[in-house]
Amino acid sequence: MTVTLGEGLLVSLFALISGIDFWLEGFYIFRPMIVCTVTGLMLGDLRLGIIAGGLTELAFAGLTPVGGTQPPNPVMAGIMTVVIAHTTGHSPATAIGLALPFSILMQYIILFYYSAFSVFTKKLDDYAKEANTKKFARLALMPTVVVGVTYAIIAFLCVYGAQAPMRELVNAMPGWLSHGFQIAGGILPAVGFGVLLKSMLKMQYVPYLLIGFTAACFIKFGNLMPVAVIGAALAFIEYSHARRNSVVDKKLKEIQDNANNGGEDDGI
Amino acid sequence: MASNSTVTPKRGKLSGKDITKLGVRSIYNQSAMNYERMQSDGWTLAMTPMLKKVYGEDTDGLAAAMSANLQFINTNNYAAPLLMGLLASLEENGEQRSTIDGLRIALFGPLAGIGDAITWFTILPIVAGITASFAKQGSILGPLVFFLVYVALFFARIPIAHLGYSAGTKAIESIRENSAIVSHAASVLGCTVIGGLIASYVQIKVLTKIPVAAGHTISIQTQFFDRIFPNILPLGYTFLLYYLLKKKNTSPVLLILLTFVLAILLSWMGVL
Repeated sequence: MTVTLGEGLLVSLFALISGIDFWLEGFYIFRPMIVCTVTGLMLGDLRLGIIAGGLTELAFAGLTPVGGTQPPNPVMAGIMTVVIAHTTGHSPATAIGLALPFSILMQYIILFYYSAFSVFTKKLDDYAKEANTKKFARLALMPTVVVGVTYAIIAFLCVYGAQAPMRELVNAMPGWLSHGFQIAGGILPAVGFGVLLKSMLKMQYVPYLLIGFTAACFIKFGNLMPVAVIGAALAFIEYSHARRNSVVDKKLKEIQDNANNGGEDDGI
Repeated sequence: MASNSTVTPKRGKLSGKDITKLGVRSIYNQSAMNYERMQSDGWTLAMTPMLKKVYGEDTDGLAAAMSANLQFINTNNYAAPLLMGLLASLEENGEQRSTIDGLRIALFGPLAGIGDAITWFTILPIVAGITASFAKQGSILGPLVFFLVYVALFFARIPIAHLGYSAGTKAIESIRENSAIVSHAASVLGCTVIGGLIASYVQIKVLTKIPVAAGHTISIQTQFFDRIFPNILPLGYTFLLYYLLKKKNTSPVLLILLTFVLAILLSWMGVL
């Protein structure tokens, strides 16, 4: 199936909105779960969008913009996964892999902007010194506008402009190659989880990871709710334990302080 | 003491509505994100109406406050309204510029740590993990629940800003003290869920079968790996990636490419 001009424009408008949302981290409609669903709806294949949303969301679970780092772009990944699956007839799992170059392209554009937007800082300093809040507000919002428009243009070119060569390329792929992409789509969440663990996992948390892993292996249930409940229970145990310890520590310290300078502030 | 001229007690009063507005405006925090001073331009944009009300006719005071806020800041987006609310109460009370700036600089880091631990490393994996299981079956419930959770979190910025405003410095001190405990509990929950996510969502199945006798083969996956422990390959591969990320400082993009190359190579060989 092809993407019509109208659909292309519609998706590009949505890219503008969700791109700004990602820039500001506002409503999280930039996550693949929402991006895929809406793109699917716009292309007239809602079910495909939802399924692709579930798969792509997990593939990107750990790839988060924490601390000003920039992950492969979730907006373009979501849009292109659905578009590729829709236009070529491949499964969403295969399409995730094929969408990756578009996602990395957008990541590098945003990284470029992070450097480029430093040019505004000097002028903003001047407006601040003059207490000119109107001009300050206008200029401080400029980067957001630039980013939004960039998303719209890139999305339109990728979704509408590049679809014919892309379809030819995908259709020319041998079976083992598309099967390889599909497998890679299934393994990809491991990278995201690895990134999450890099910032979270200390030696003391390994037991909890193993408890969660084992629980999920053997509890046959449609979703991860049981594991989340086990996790919440463990977290609560740890929390009360740590609170009690800190109270005891404080009391000990008080007693020690009193013992050290008891002579001077007897009155208290 | 009249000599202490930097403190001007005549400051505008903030209403509850102003703090609500501040919470909503905290969305501008990243509007002009750049590598030179990260969020500070957008941070100041969010703060200006509040500062304008506090300083009123005192343009020198407003200019000084705006310039001070333009210093480097990089914090979590849901922690930002908390800090904004707290600083609003200090500005309103006419605290010294240096006190306000010192507090902002001292707090944005620890608040970023606890905010990231809760929003990115705990809430996102849990919400994504649970809603994805619905979405994969084609149920609209998945994206719908996901959307509602994050709309609710957006509006949580308002009570968070009010909390910061009413908390005062003493309460912030206790938040900072307890932040280690809260981060610890959040990490316990997060790691448990990530363990579950690895088992549920990373898929590696070996197709290779070894012929042992005429017409009889052994499947490596079902008769070897699954007998040791289910999902042992996903766990092993995730730990390998973790090791490369943590100890070798490999970039995630490189690992994504590596994963693709391996998957395609092994698919070609017929192993996966």
